[in-house]
Amino acid sequence: MKSTHIQHLYNRIGFGISPKELSRLSKKTKKRIINELFSSSKTTTPLKVDISFLDGKTYKDLKKERKEFQKISRKKVKEFSTAWFDRLNNPKEILREKMTLFWANHFVCESRNILFVDSYNNMLRKNALGDFRTFTKKVSKEAAMLGYLNNKQNKKKSPNENFARELMELFTLGQDQYTEKDIKESARAFTGYNHKFRGEFNFREKHHDENEKTFLGKSGNFNGDDIIDIIIEKKQCARFISEKIYSYFVNENINKKHIDEMVSVFYIDYDIENLMRFVLLSKWFYADENIGTKIKSPIEFLVGMNTIVPYKIEKTKQIFWVQKMLGQVLLNPPNVAGWKTGRNWIDSNTIVTRLRLPSVLLNNAEIAYSEKGDEETMITNFKKRKLSRRSIIKVTADWKYFEENYKNNSNKELIYHVITSKINKGTAEMLARNEKLSKHDFVVQLMSLPEYQLC
Amino acid sequence: MKRRDFLKQTTFASGMFFVPQFLKAFEQMPNKTFSNKKVVIIQLKGGNDGLNTVVPFNNDIYYQQRNNIALKQNDLFKISDEVGLHKSLKPLQNLYNKGFVSIINNVGYPNPNLSHFRATDIWQTASDSNEFLQNGWVGRYLDHTKGNPFSAIEVDESLSLMMKGKTQNGLAITDPKMFYNSMKAPFFNNVVTNYNDAHLSEHNLGYLYNTMIDAKSSAKYIFEKSKTKTSPAEYPKNIFAKQLKTISQFINSGLETQVFYAGLSGFDTHANQTNSQAKLLKTYAESMEVFVEDLQKNNTFEDVLILTFSEFGRRVKQNESKGTDHGTANNVFVMGKNLKKQGLYNDLPNLGDLDKNGNLKYEIDFREIYATILDKWLQVDDVAILNKSFSKLNFV
Repeated sequence: MKSTHIQHLYNRIGFGISPKELSRLSKKTKKRIINELFSSSKTTTPLKVDISFLDGKTYKDLKKERKEFQKISRKKVKEFSTAWFDRLNNPKEILREKMTLFWANHFVCESRNILFVDSYNNMLRKNALGDFRTFTKKVSKEAAMLGYLNNKQNKKKSPNENFARELMELFTLGQDQYTEKDIKESARAFTGYNHKFRGEFNFREKHHDENEKTFLGKSGNFNGDDIIDIIIEKKQCARFISEKIYSYFVNENINKKHIDEMVSVFYIDYDIENLMRFVLLSKWFYADENIGTKIKSPIEFLVGMNTIVPYKIEKTKQIFWVQKMLGQVLLNPPNVAGWKTGRNWIDSNTIVTRLRLPSVLLNNAEIAYSEKGDEETMITNFKKRKLSRRSIIKVTADWKYFEENYKNNSNKELIYHVITSKINKGTAEMLARNEKLSKHDFVVQLMSLPEYQLC
Repeated sequence: MKRRDFLKQTTFASGMFFVPQFLKAFEQMPNKTFSNKKVVIIQLKGGNDGLNTVVPFNNDIYYQQRNNIALKQNDLFKISDEVGLHKSLKPLQNLYNKGFVSIINNVGYPNPNLSHFRATDIWQTASDSNEFLQNGWVGRYLDHTKGNPFSAIEVDESLSLMMKGKTQNGLAITDPKMFYNSMKAPFFNNVVTNYNDAHLSEHNLGYLYNTMIDAKSSAKYIFEKSKTKTSPAEYPKNIFAKQLKTISQFINSGLETQVFYAGLSGFDTHANQTNSQAKLLKTYAESMEVFVEDLQKNNTFEDVLILTFSEFGRRVKQNESKGTDHGTANNVFVMGKNLKKQGLYNDLPNLGDLDKNGNLKYEIDFREIYATILDKWLQVDDVAILNKSFSKLNFV
C-alpha cells in the first residue's frame, strides 16, 4: 500500500503513524492492513480510575454524605477525563478508541457522577464497532443519559420530551424527519425509565404509560426499545449515521453517491464494523480530495503531536486549560449537539493558540489563558472561579524518542511525515530556506503551520 | 536559549517583499462606518423562562399552570397594575423608571423549533424555521458594510455562527492584551506574509491562513486603541460582568466596533428552576446596571442599544420536576437612552390561547426587531442583510 495512503488511513482512524510503523506496513496490501486494524481492535480495554472510595457504600450512606460524595465524584470525573486523554495518547485498540471519540460526539452526554461517567464511556467503547440498534438501546438506559436528557423525570403523569426529541434529532434520524406529535408519543413510550443509585437501569412500571401510542405511523403500546426498533427500520437512520461517519472520517462535503453505497451496506444489519470496513476499503476514501483536507479536532491536534514527539503535560489542571483554549474538553461537551466540527474549530483565537502550542508544549514557551463562562451547569459556583490566569505549561517532552524515530529522515523528508496537506507556495519556500535548522526546531516549526491543522 | 535561537533564525525569512495584495488592502482600508451607533447583543443561553421574568400576577391561568413555581406578588416588583418583574431584576428598576428599558413581548417566528441548537441557529442566522443558513445576520452585516473582523466582537473565546458572514467573520476576544501578545512572535509574521496561494482560499487551508491574517491585524488595532482606557467602575465578580466590562472598555475607548455579543448560560431549567433562575437573573441585572452606568459616565450610552434575547421561552405549564420544558415565544429586552417606546412595548401573552403543544403564540417576528435595528439604528439596508423584508417596529 502506498505510504501516503497508509498515512491518510492512520490520520483518520488514529492520530498519525510513526516512520517505523509506516515502513513496516508499506510492504503489505491494503486488505491486510485493514484486516490487521480491525483485528487489533477486536478486544476492548475498559478505561478505569480508582473508585474504591465507594466500596461498601449503601444508598443511605451516600445520601447522608451527599455533598462530600459529589465533591469526590467531580474530582474523579476530571481524573477520568485525563485518563481518557492518556489512553488516546497511548492506545492499544486504535480504531476502537477513535470510534469511541467519534461516538462521544454523537451520543453526546455529560455527568458529574463518576459511576455514571465510567459506565457511559466504557459502554461507548464496547459498542463502538458493534450493532447500532443495540448500541442505541444501551444509550437510552445509561444513568448518565437518563439524567442528562431528563428521561428519569419522564413519567406517565407528566412526560418530559427532552430525550425523545434528541433521540430522533441528534442520535438517529436528523431534523424534520418526524412531527412534534411523534416526539410526544415516543416520550410516553420512554416513561418509567430510571436507574438505581449505582447506575443500573431500573424500569418503574407504575410510572410507565401502558396506553397505545402512535409513532411514525405505527400504533401499539410501545416501550422505549420498540421506539428504537421503529426508528431503525427507517432507511433515513442508516443514511443519517452514514453521513455522520462520512463527514468525520472522509470529508465534510458529502458525496451522495458514496453515502448511497454506505447506506446499502449499513441498512442490512446496522453493523458498524461492516460499515467502517467498507469505507476504509473503498477507493474513494483514498481520493486526493480527501487527503489532508480535514481540519483536525483539538484532540486530534494534541494527540497527533504526541505521535511525533511524545510529551506529557505534568499538571492535570493544565491538560484542561489546553483543551479548553482549543475548544474541546473531553467529557465536557458544549451541549447535546456536541462540538461543531470542521471550520467551526477555527476562529481568530483558536488558530493563534494552535500555531503557538507546539512551542509552548515542546519548547516551554509561556502562554496566557483566560476563562469564559459557558458551562451550562456551573450556575452555583461560577462567581468563585478565577477570571484569568497566565502560565507556563509544564511539560516533559521525549525528544529522544523523536530523534531515534526520525534519525533516517532529512528535514525535507520530515515535511511529508508531518504534513499531508498541500503546502502554500510561500510557506514551502520558507521551509526550504529553513531546512538547515536543527531537526528539533524544524519539526516544531512544521507543527506551527496552518498546514499542520489539516489531516 | 534554544527557543530564542529558533525565533532569531526564522526572522531572517521575513516577507518584506511579499505582502499579499489583499493584506495590504486590508491594512490601508479605513473602516467604513455607516453610523456611529453600536449594538450590544446579549443572549440568555438555554431558554430563559420569560413568563417568570415578566409576570402577569393577576392572571389565574398563570397560577393554575404553575402551582409550584409561579411567582407571587412579593416575589416581584410591579411595573403596572397587571405586570411585575422578577425581583432579581430589581437592579434594573432605576433604569426602567428612567425610560431606558423597553420590553417587547411575544417575540418568536412561525413554526418554532424547540431544540436549543436549532433555535439558537435560527435566531443567530435570522432564518425561517425550515431554512438552514451557514452565516449569521451580524456576519452578513459585516459582508454588507465591508467591515473588518473587529467591526463585530464576541466577548468569548470562540466565535458563534451569528458573527460569521459569507466573506467576513467577526472576532472572538476576551483579553486584548493577551491576544495581541500571543501574536507578536516573528514566526507568525513570516507565516502570514508568506501566504500567497490565492487559489487555496476556497479550501480549508485558505480559511486557516485568512483567519490568521484577520486575527493578527485586528489584535493590533484593538490592543493599541483600547489600552488607553480602563474602567474604574466596580463590576460584580463574575464572568458575565467581566464580558460587559470588556465591552465598555471597547466602547469607551472609541473602538470602531459596531456590534458586540456576550452571553450568560444556564437558563435551561428543566428541574427545580426557582433558585437557579433567580440567581441567573440577579447576575444579569446587577451586571447590566453597572454596565449602563459605566456607559453613561463616559457619555457613550446614547450611542448604544442593548438587546437581550433568549433562543426560546418555556412552556406555560410547568413540568413534574418543578421546572419548565422548552417553549416558543418570549420577551426581548431593549435598553437605550432615547427609546421611542418605553416600558412595555406591547401586551403580555394571552395564556388562554396556546398552540397545540401548549406553547405561546408569537406576535412579533424576531426579525422585525433585527430589521428595525439595521434600518433605524445602524442605518443600513436591512433587506439585503436579512434576505427578506420585514415590517419595522418603533422602539428606536
